[in-house]
Amino acid sequence: MSEATAKRHMGLKASRAVTNTAIHILLIVISIIWLIPFVCIVLQSFRVENSGQVGYVLPKVWGTDNYSNLFQTDFPRWYTNTFVAALITAVLQTVIVLCMSYTLSRFRFKMRQPLMRFMLILGMFPGMLTMIILYRVLKDLGMTQANATPGLILVYIASSGMGYYVSKGFFDTIPTSLDEAARIDGATRAQILYKIILPLSKPIVIYTILTAFMGPWGDYVFARYIAFGASAGKNVAVGLYDWLSKDQISNNYTMFCAGGVLVALPVTVLFMFLQKYYVEGVTGGAVKG
Amino acid sequence: MASVKLTDVKKIYDNKVTAVHDFNLEIKDKEFVVFVGPSGCGKSTTLRMIAGLEDISGGTLEIDGEVVNDLQPKDRDIAMVFQNYALYPHMTVYDNIAFSLRLKKVPEDEVYERVTNAAQILGITEYLTRKPRALSGGQRQRVAIGRAMVRNAKVFLMDEPLSNLDAKLRNQMRAEIILLRQKLDTTFIYVTHDQTEAMTLGDRIVIMKDGFIEQVGTPQEVFDTPVNLFVAGFIGSPQMNFLKAKLVQEGSGYTVEILGARIPLNEDQNAVLAKKKVKSMEIILGVRPEHTTVLFDKTENAIECAIDVNEMMGSELHLHLSSANDDKIIVRLPTVDLTKEQRNSLAYGGKMYITFPAKVMHLFDPETERSLIDG
Amino acid sequence: MAQLSDLEYLKLSKGKKFGYRLGHFFTGIPKGIGRFFLKIWEGLKKCGAAVGREAADIVNTFVHGDWKTKLSYLVMGFGCLARGQILRGILFLLFEVVFIGYMILSGGYWLSMLPSLGKTGPSKEYNELLDVYVTKYNDNSFQILLYGVLTIFFIIAFIYTWRLNIRQNKIAEKILASGKKLKSGKEDLRSIVDDQFHKTLLALPMTGIIVFTLLPILFMVLVAFTNYDGTHNGYTNSLFTWVGLDNFNTMLSWSGGAGGTQSYAATFGEVLLWTLIWAFFATFTNYFLGMFVAMAINKKGIRFKKGWRTILVLTIAIPQFISLLYVSKMFAKNGIINGFLMDMGWITQAIDFFGDASRPWLARITVIVINIWIGIPYLMLITTGILMNIPADLYESAKIDGASGWKQYTKITLPYMLFVTGPYLLTSFTGNMNNFNVIYLLTGGAPTNAAASSASGSVGYTDLLITWLFKITTGAESQYYMASVIGILVFVVVALVSLIVYNVMPSTRNEEDFR
Repeated sequence: MSEATAKRHMGLKASRAVTNTAIHILLIVISIIWLIPFVCIVLQSFRVENSGQVGYVLPKVWGTDNYSNLFQTDFPRWYTNTFVAALITAVLQTVIVLCMSYTLSRFRFKMRQPLMRFMLILGMFPGMLTMIILYRVLKDLGMTQANATPGLILVYIASSGMGYYVSKGFFDTIPTSLDEAARIDGATRAQILYKIILPLSKPIVIYTILTAFMGPWGDYVFARYIAFGASAGKNVAVGLYDWLSKDQISNNYTMFCAGGVLVALPVTVLFMFLQKYYVEGVTGGAVKG
Repeated sequence: MASVKLTDVKKIYDNKVTAVHDFNLEIKDKEFVVFVGPSGCGKSTTLRMIAGLEDISGGTLEIDGEVVNDLQPKDRDIAMVFQNYALYPHMTVYDNIAFSLRLKKVPEDEVYERVTNAAQILGITEYLTRKPRALSGGQRQRVAIGRAMVRNAKVFLMDEPLSNLDAKLRNQMRAEIILLRQKLDTTFIYVTHDQTEAMTLGDRIVIMKDGFIEQVGTPQEVFDTPVNLFVAGFIGSPQMNFLKAKLVQEGSGYTVEILGARIPLNEDQNAVLAKKKVKSMEIILGVRPEHTTVLFDKTENAIECAIDVNEMMGSELHLHLSSANDDKIIVRLPTVDLTKEQRNSLAYGGKMYITFPAKVMHLFDPETERSLIDG
Repeated sequence: MAQLSDLEYLKLSKGKKFGYRLGHFFTGIPKGIGRFFLKIWEGLKKCGAAVGREAADIVNTFVHGDWKTKLSYLVMGFGCLARGQILRGILFLLFEVVFIGYMILSGGYWLSMLPSLGKTGPSKEYNELLDVYVTKYNDNSFQILLYGVLTIFFIIAFIYTWRLNIRQNKIAEKILASGKKLKSGKEDLRSIVDDQFHKTLLALPMTGIIVFTLLPILFMVLVAFTNYDGTHNGYTNSLFTWVGLDNFNTMLSWSGGAGGTQSYAATFGEVLLWTLIWAFFATFTNYFLGMFVAMAINKKGIRFKKGWRTILVLTIAIPQFISLLYVSKMFAKNGIINGFLMDMGWITQAIDFFGDASRPWLARITVIVINIWIGIPYLMLITTGILMNIPADLYESAKIDGASGWKQYTKITLPYMLFVTGPYLLTSFTGNMNNFNVIYLLTGGAPTNAAASSASGSVGYTDLLITWLFKITTGAESQYYMASVIGILVFVVVALVSLIVYNVMPSTRNEEDFR
């Protein structure tokens, strides 16, 4: 090997090492940027000396006062509201979404294409618009303000059939010859669904449950409409949002941080455990549009 | 154990494309019928109509004398093996095979009996507790066959069951299907695009193209007396050679003229042509590679050809030739009797002479592409 | 523009190729629009023909049918009952009875009130016993509109069922004539889990969609043609009524508002423009940076791949209202960011990121940057999966052909990604147009646009159409009719964008390809 070629070979290795180091540094910087807000919120939730907003991060006096104070407020009530709504929504929405997507993936009926086009067009209207009328109807039914939770659940699940895309995309990848084999083996359509398709769709079922749970857990808009004005009917999003309003922020800022930590903790843990399924669902959904 | 009868069965898709035109066929009890043809010829669609996986657009389908057009697949008492096996990935081999029996609420001890019995016949007993993904292609295929076997169905449908296997395994499984057929002794309908499979397996072969049946017959019949150019070219490997030639009527007899060679037809052929009142005409002459006589020296009625390619197959040579008419011809030449000089002369640029007797010649009308003699 | 053959096109230089394509794109627009309307026209023609066929069939069935069929025209389900299909017959009959009962008891009233939306509003009446004035509530415009629409739905459903009932008779007659048996009630019940299973599965989801989405949206579309707002709520204060296209005229009028403010149309235009700019940058900054991060993590020789991903994914797990609200407070005047910058001595005066009306673009750019923080993790996840699907031999052969890393990216990675994620980009774009959370939780629309039309509520420089809509409905005046108009316009914009992108996209893939 001549000296020149040797240099060229070394160059390849060296330049790769340089780029990789650069990327590692970049990733560290990115990670810091992404983590800062979360670190800050946790730190500030333990700050005792000042309950308002300050320009520094590290508390001067540490303590769990903010957490214990939460229980003097309506926060436990909001937390229960949110949890109940999220849990029930997760179950019912999953059932509805799976029904819808299985049907659209597996049956070839006359109204299939028009139905999908209809839902596509309907989805182009801002969903918030419907809240104006739904609020008034639910109010007549006594499902708003302090009793907002049942009304909210109804709103969350009612139109969930329109979110069929991701799971339909998944069902489409299960070969239809399995259905056909099962039909010849003597299974009815219903049996095919719960004996063949569902056992094969574990990732997408978990993904659907997870997203169906996380929707209500972090929802602000719908809860804001339905719980309008009544503290007992708020969910955590509306409750914590109001703590940051101009007249409350100076007293409740650190309590907001503590509440935020308590709200984020369970979903984060859940999410970390089910990350694999979430990734699968999100990727599949994007590819199949 | 049933007959199947298709009368004017049609498949027309929503977009007005006709996949199968009036399909008429009567399959006898315990017969093994093979549908063969190039992809898109409608063979699979026909099979799927028999299975009940596709709606029948017209005509009637009878199994054992009962019209089953509007019956669900499960009510037709058929079993089917799919091309990609279609095994349920989340079930063990045992559960896969037992699935249909359990749906029928067969008692569990009988399920056990039938599943293990089928597994024994197929030699997959040791895999019963495995999931399909832990099996090789051939083993999966056996499970798929086992799943169909335990149902004791009237009709056994197979949709290209071997096409996902490699060549060696395919030959082996082909032999096993023949064995299986002897054991099961039921009606088989088998779909394939591979003419070798069709020839080796079928009692009768149905050759299809573009949704039409081209010819129905035993393997020997379709090989010996193809009714048209398509069947002649489709059955047999290497493919039949097609040459431009002239049919000349001379008195009571006929002669084929090709590149100076004049080959008189035999009595039977003359009789058929005379009966059909065929006049002198341009024809396409079909001769199978194995029926061609190869000569190293020019004789009377021999056609001179140039050698393009020489393929060594071991026991024989496949020679690709072109005639003065620029027809491409393939001939098979056993290597046993060849001298060293002869072998050396069979290279690119060399010359060869071929001839053939009247009885191996197939005569086709270039206009209608139909055989002048057969069919 | 001249049409070139494929081979002629290949001969063009790079610039000319681009010009050719660009030219064809623009000359194609009128053609595309023409095609669109032609399609609508053809659809209408088809519809007309179908209605004609149906009518002819109804008449034919009556003329040729037996007496059971004929009687079914009046008494729904009679034919089924008479032919022994008890279950079907009872269902048909029940539906007819309920329908007629409803129409007599209330449907008729709602329909008759629909054109006026109520005649007498609430009135004060003197109560002699108590010696006070009490309010007496009369007509309710809201209910009239709502139940009016419902009644129309019900009538359509009835006509459809009536038609179904007639078709049933025709089919039954045909089956009986051919000597076969009709389906029994038991078989009907069995079919709902088998060959009619799709109808069973769709029943619940579709009911939800129709009642909670379709009906409300139709209602709100109608509201755009009324004066329904906080002071005309239709019941307790004052009735509302039809106003024709007045609201649209207001929205699109160029005459200035009171107190020297902009016209409504100018305000709308400004918000719409920002909405589009926002959607564009929010979509593409995330897309490319997310892809970049995914590629960085995927690169050979990078360690802790899973760790980096998990850190980013954390942002998805934490509810947006927490992270966004917190980040918005970090950027506040007395927030951590300003505190940090001042501690470091880089600035002397706190920057008002979201409150400075004199620098609207500061707020806008900050919002876009923060959105990158929100969006990269999603895109990183999505693109990671797809990047790994690109066949490695493509890169290997490109390397052997001498392509640099950048060339490999632009010639292999990017085309592949754009092809695969085309539909996703479209939904992401329209999703960002309606991205309520990010804007509302971060800025609440601030800084306020003082020049905005006085009638438009308080619009801010970072307000999207959707947050504006929210503000209008929750503000003091609650101009529901204006919210409807904005909602309709959002629909029009989203539909237009989708239509254009859908037609430009390289391939609208056939869903059957995946089967």
